[in-house]
Amino acid sequence: MSSEDPGNDIIIEVENVPSGVQSHPLSNEIFQERVLVRSGLSRMTSISDIDVIDSPISSRRNYKQHRQLSQFSTSLNESISQTLHIPECMGLGTPCTSLESIQGQKLIASLIPLSPRDRNKAIRNQPRTMEEKRKLRKIVDTEKSKQSHHIIHFNCCTHCLNSISLAYRRSRNSLSEVLNSISLWQKTLKVIGGKFGTSVLSYFNFLKWLLKFNIFSFIVTFSFLIIPQFTVAEKNTLQFTGLEFLTGGGYFRDTVMYYGFYTNSTIRHDNSWASYNMQLAYIFTIGACLVTCFFSLLYSMAKYFRNNFINPHLYSRGIAKLIFCWDFTVTNEKAVKLKQKNLSTEIRENLSEIRQENIKLTLNQRLTRLSAHAVAWVVSTGVAIACCVAVYYLAEDNSEFLKRHRDPGAVLLLPFVVSCINLVVPRLYSMFGLVERYELPRHEVYTLLIRNIFLKISIIGILCYYWLNIVALAGEECWETLIGQEIYRLLLMDFVFSLADSFLGEFLRRIIGMKLITSLGVQEFDIARNVLELIYAQTLAWIGIFFCPLLPFIQMIALFIMFYVKNISLMMNFQPPSKAWRASQMMTFFIFLLFFPSFTGVLCTLAITIWRLKPSANCGAFRGLPFFIHSIYSWIETLSNKPSYLWVVWIYRNLIGSVHFFFILTLIVLIITYLYWQITEGRKIMIRLLHEQIINEGKDKMFLIEKLLKLQDVEKRANPSLLTLERREVEQQGSLHLGEHDATHGE
Amino acid sequence: MGNKQTVFTDEQLEAYQDCTFFTRKEIMRLFYRYQDLAPQLVPLDYTSYPNVKVPYELIGSMPELKDNPFRQRIAQVFSEDGDGHMTLDNFLDMFSVMSEMAPRDLKAYYAFKIYDFNNDDYICAWDLEQTVTRLTRGELSAEEVSLVCEKVLDEADGDHDGRLSLEDFQNMILRAPDFLSTFHIRI
Repeated sequence: MSSEDPGNDIIIEVENVPSGVQSHPLSNEIFQERVLVRSGLSRMTSISDIDVIDSPISSRRNYKQHRQLSQFSTSLNESISQTLHIPECMGLGTPCTSLESIQGQKLIASLIPLSPRDRNKAIRNQPRTMEEKRKLRKIVDTEKSKQSHHIIHFNCCTHCLNSISLAYRRSRNSLSEVLNSISLWQKTLKVIGGKFGTSVLSYFNFLKWLLKFNIFSFIVTFSFLIIPQFTVAEKNTLQFTGLEFLTGGGYFRDTVMYYGFYTNSTIRHDNSWASYNMQLAYIFTIGACLVTCFFSLLYSMAKYFRNNFINPHLYSRGIAKLIFCWDFTVTNEKAVKLKQKNLSTEIRENLSEIRQENIKLTLNQRLTRLSAHAVAWVVSTGVAIACCVAVYYLAEDNSEFLKRHRDPGAVLLLPFVVSCINLVVPRLYSMFGLVERYELPRHEVYTLLIRNIFLKISIIGILCYYWLNIVALAGEECWETLIGQEIYRLLLMDFVFSLADSFLGEFLRRIIGMKLITSLGVQEFDIARNVLELIYAQTLAWIGIFFCPLLPFIQMIALFIMFYVKNISLMMNFQPPSKAWRASQMMTFFIFLLFFPSFTGVLCTLAITIWRLKPSANCGAFRGLPFFIHSIYSWIETLSNKPSYLWVVWIYRNLIGSVHFFFILTLIVLIITYLYWQITEGRKIMIRLLHEQIINEGKDKMFLIEKLLKLQDVEKRANPSLLTLERREVEQQGSLHLGEHDATHGE
Repeated sequence: MGNKQTVFTDEQLEAYQDCTFFTRKEIMRLFYRYQDLAPQLVPLDYTSYPNVKVPYELIGSMPELKDNPFRQRIAQVFSEDGDGHMTLDNFLDMFSVMSEMAPRDLKAYYAFKIYDFNNDDYICAWDLEQTVTRLTRGELSAEEVSLVCEKVLDEADGDHDGRLSLEDFQNMILRAPDFLSTFHIRI
């Protein structure tokens, strides 16, 4: 390994000392004995770090260290080989260059016992070129077939299993291909992403995701409720005027659109056909829709949390993130130039923030800020409560008014007012930003979001309270249909307002921004407000699915049209965002909002309806029953008379209906949660310790480099003859330990 | 699927499918995109493994790449000889890593290589300067650029050696959950 040229050469041949979390002290004698100084461009096989406690260099980085390091690096540039830290090749580190090396053999050996799917996944995740991956795959396949030749007994079984798994994989691939080909709007999303970047794209992806929920709900309700009901439909005697599309009443009252139309009988067409119990079908279908939505939401939420949740105290006002997270999806030339300009502005702001971050606020200033925040919160909460009260009294008065006057258009007053509130008050909240000052911009975003969601959820909450406590108990003829109509009108009015906002409002804002008050400039897409509107509409749709089974279809059409309208408006009236918007974290938060106040609220409302309310006596699938849930009770009763279904009754009575079971289940879940929490805490401590170790190793490196450079200087000043003398001495002392081990420290 | 394609053997297509994140259809679509770049150069029959490289100028003119400030580095990192001229394998590799199905570690590894302009397996201050210059297209002064580089090294350098190793980079990427969605080229 040593080159023969004379002159000043530095060799570092150091023994590898295995390190644990504690650093070992190393005596100076060993250090002197083992280190020869020889500068040059000789290739070295491995350099391992010695753990040295003593580090004269302070941990504060300074420019001198950089220069020392770069001098050192340039003089030893080619000498420090890539196999510095020889990692296990399953993880990512510097990749092993050849498959014939030890590491390559290790990799192949680790891939053989995996299932084909896991093997392919591991091969795909390797940072190698395509050819190497192909070779790897071939080698692993041949090794695996060689191994399986030895197992003769299970030949038949494994062959069967292999062909089954292969067929399964092929079918999965073709299924995913089919799904991809019918995937909606691929090109449009690409164009939007190309021009506006990932953040605006996240809104449209959210819309597409909500659309999938509605498509699924619609397919389920259509197949299990609407089609059977069509087969026993009664004739509709009401007149059709065009106003029904707006009010939802009139002709539509006696259609499959509303709960009231559904029969409570068991549908039987021929005596040979199986019977179809409409009551059970109704409750089970709605239940299945909601349960699927629940699990899908939970799964998405967990996936986003796993990928995107970072410990808040690790979060830094990073400038590194701005540099390394350039949006590669932006492909439009103008957009790229704009993005570069915006990035420069943001970098400048970030630099000035960092310079100012040590400025402490005086007590006075802090008090002013706190009081501004307090006032803003009081005002916003007050406004939200005032709106709720107004909506409640309006709803009450409206029903009184409607009983006396039979004006079909008057029913639209309440939805109109609600939509106006939803239009005006969020913009009012945004104006608070002029008064309040925040330390971090993301505090501002979160505060705005919380206020808006509080407003929207309280309005829905007050309306639900009104419907369930007043309308349902008022003794109306078919209160479920009435509630269904109300929800339909709310959704429709909200949709109309969104359309008007996109077509008129944003258009006018652009005209104003470009022609009249040019200092305002073109607006940017407000992602938070739009996503909250989507969440609001989806909450209403989920509540309404029980009272108006056709509502997913209506929501589906609305979302479909909204996509195109928003897209066109975006292209015409908006400019790309100027600030970095943390799309992934925001998406996590939005999906959490969709789950926590929105979906859980829906579940509560429907639970109250099913368990506490009395169905109307003359219409709907549950007419005559004391509670909706009694349909299940009577079904269990009928099942308990049939001997072949006793297991269902058993499950119902002992698992679903029993308190003990849920108590034990809760206890188990709590214990598991506690254990996982403790494991997480332990891992955090481990991360901190490892981080400290990395810093220590860095200090060791700097210490070594300084020492080497000092020695190098000493050698340079001394005679060249002295150097050869020293070399001969050391050679006489015996061969030095050449470090050719694997690095044993590190994982 | 029913249609028979004559570009690849079944075995080749399956190998591609297992080694990238794409389905068969997507691989065929990517092949035709590759072929469209240089119709005279790229044969329509790959069963004999022809050794064809599309020059960098054509790769860099693709609509997905032509305005990207890092297109040259991307092509260099994924090409065989580091010069930007790509074979079909390199092409598929590139878009597979940049697709949305690639895991974070894989993307972080290649992003590290892209930002490592001098290919010394560390992102040093010079590399950072190059990156920042490309990102800001002359908007920042030289002083500001060096200040930015210093701040980045301050934040991300875990072992305080004045440059970012792959581990430092990966550690920093962990704190930037947006990385997965921004390091993504749609094709």
